[in-house]
Amino acid sequence: MRITAPISRVDEIAPLAAAGADELYCGVVPREWVARHGNAMVSRRIFGNLESLAALEQAVAAAHAAGATLALALNAQHYAAAQLELLHELVAAYAAMGGDAVIVGDAALLGALSDLRGRLRIHVSSLAACRNREAAALYRDLGADRVILPRTVNLAEATALAGALPELEFEAFMLYDGCVFEEGACHTLHLPGQLGGPICLDRYASAVQRVDGRPLTAAEAARLAHNDACREQWLWHRFSCGFNVTPEGDPYGPCGLCALPNLAAGGVTAVKIAGREAPTARKLRSVRLVARVRDRWRDGVGVTALRDYAQGLRDARDLCRCGYMCYYPEVLDDETPVPRAAES
Amino acid sequence: MPEAPAVTARMLQLVLACTGLATALRALVAAAGKHELETLLAQLGVPLPLATLPLPPARLTAIQLGSAFCDRLLPEPAALAQLVRSGRERDIAVGLVTPPVDDAALARVARLLDELPAGAEVVANDLGVLRLLARSRPDLVPVAGRLLSRMVKDPRLPSAEWAGLYPAGVDAVPLQRLFDRFGVATQELDVAPFARPESFRVGRRPLAVHAPFGFALTGRSCQIGSLHQPDRAKFAPGHRCRRECLAYVTRMARPPGIGGGDLETFQRGNSMFYRHAPAMARSLALAIERGDVARLVLPGDWHADHRADQPG
Repeated sequence: MRITAPISRVDEIAPLAAAGADELYCGVVPREWVARHGNAMVSRRIFGNLESLAALEQAVAAAHAAGATLALALNAQHYAAAQLELLHELVAAYAAMGGDAVIVGDAALLGALSDLRGRLRIHVSSLAACRNREAAALYRDLGADRVILPRTVNLAEATALAGALPELEFEAFMLYDGCVFEEGACHTLHLPGQLGGPICLDRYASAVQRVDGRPLTAAEAARLAHNDACREQWLWHRFSCGFNVTPEGDPYGPCGLCALPNLAAGGVTAVKIAGREAPTARKLRSVRLVARVRDRWRDGVGVTALRDYAQGLRDARDLCRCGYMCYYPEVLDDETPVPRAAES
Repeated sequence: MPEAPAVTARMLQLVLACTGLATALRALVAAAGKHELETLLAQLGVPLPLATLPLPPARLTAIQLGSAFCDRLLPEPAALAQLVRSGRERDIAVGLVTPPVDDAALARVARLLDELPAGAEVVANDLGVLRLLARSRPDLVPVAGRLLSRMVKDPRLPSAEWAGLYPAGVDAVPLQRLFDRFGVATQELDVAPFARPESFRVGRRPLAVHAPFGFALTGRSCQIGSLHQPDRAKFAPGHRCRRECLAYVTRMARPPGIGGGDLETFQRGNSMFYRHAPAMARSLALAIERGDVARLVLPGDWHADHRADQPG
């Protein structure tokens, strides 16, 4: 099981690799792009990207020197026709630098890069929201080497896909940056805070109505209010438990550590830590968290003990128990033994 | 009552997309009754797509059953078969709308395809469904659904300048080539906030535009669908539901100080929608007049204005 971690600066590469990251990924927003397009939509994140091709070249070299690979994320939800041309130039330059892989979220971009297949690995981004074997096979046919599964798959689906298409690699979310909706089907912007911020955190007041025109009964209103309260709790957990950290500096928030054995046994190749724009210290702590669990699993620790260990890492047992902080909450009630033989 | 005109090359096609079989059957009966178009739409409770603008010559040409957003709303095979039979009797085409799917839902889609006659349209909102169609039922006609036409559609966008920063990718050549590869006959599109008439000059195949609502986002976690689930099972990927979205709609608004210019917004099931502003409807009307839009897709039931007790 490989650990994939984000970087936003070249000097993060060596310590993250030393902490246990096998693969790194980054974005880049070259000055030419900003000059031509006036915004930062090379990748979905405006912040947390390298700022020049020179930095990207240094990053490739630094990753290789540290024994890791580097993937370049080009994962905006979509690109306009004119943008595809410049992205092709960018990826060709990256290939010439010896870059390892590109992460692509848009089918049009995947098509635009078809002539570069063979020079780079293609990782289909979680933004492609690939959740079924026909879509995965299509991406394989288009040259993909790996599919990064969306946040909204469960363990059974993830491992079934990995089993059905062994010629493809699959990567699954492991830590942080929860999304409320399906990011590949969210066509809104993370607006500046004064304009509302991300739509899922915006100050909407909502009013539920029956479509038959009748008023809500008292029981219905109470059930809806309870559901809304649960939703607020769920959102709080999705957004790093109120953006809190442990006294040691580990953030809370969406996590799949307990499910790592299931993903490994099910043929999933890599697990992803999200958060390109996070501080270096958080990235380092994140990699160490995942590496500790992975290494114990490799060392033969049983799954029950491993889950107990994982839940104790951030002293978050109460947060874990409710399930809202989990990428794969189904493991909380699952005591089925997990085989090791199939682990990659 | 004048008869509905025959479809000509310059006639606007109207397609009614329904989630419920009852609505779809009612629409079939009403359409076969040769009512005037506006009477028909009013009878069905379908909001007029172009607000106060006159509709060009148009005819209801097809009824679609299913959902672009949630596999729980896919019809049972028997329901689709019943609608196909009724459509055949009334000479109105029947199609299937499909959402993003996991493997289990993909298998259900495959089963539904068995109920469709050759030449029927299937709206695919998942590339996997397009591939399935090409492999298993090449005699069906694929339509690239609105989820495959990606563009920024934030109902909170402050200005046209903001919208201009994020050009759509719906006419990108590689995407069109992908659609060619799967024999996509028609491409669906939403009307984005601040859309201009030129926004509808897209691709190289007939364009079908959804009106009068656009969808801003969708997801697998469903707030209203979690209503009857145990607390710990709520909102998780693939959680169960009782199809509460058929009973409730959620109106959403931001405080006037920040959201005064927002498009009217509502949530139905797992998805958020907005109602077209008059300027957006005018852009669409002009695009229709110019011949850039071949058909309008109207929401039959799963929208903000639908009333379950609507007289049929």
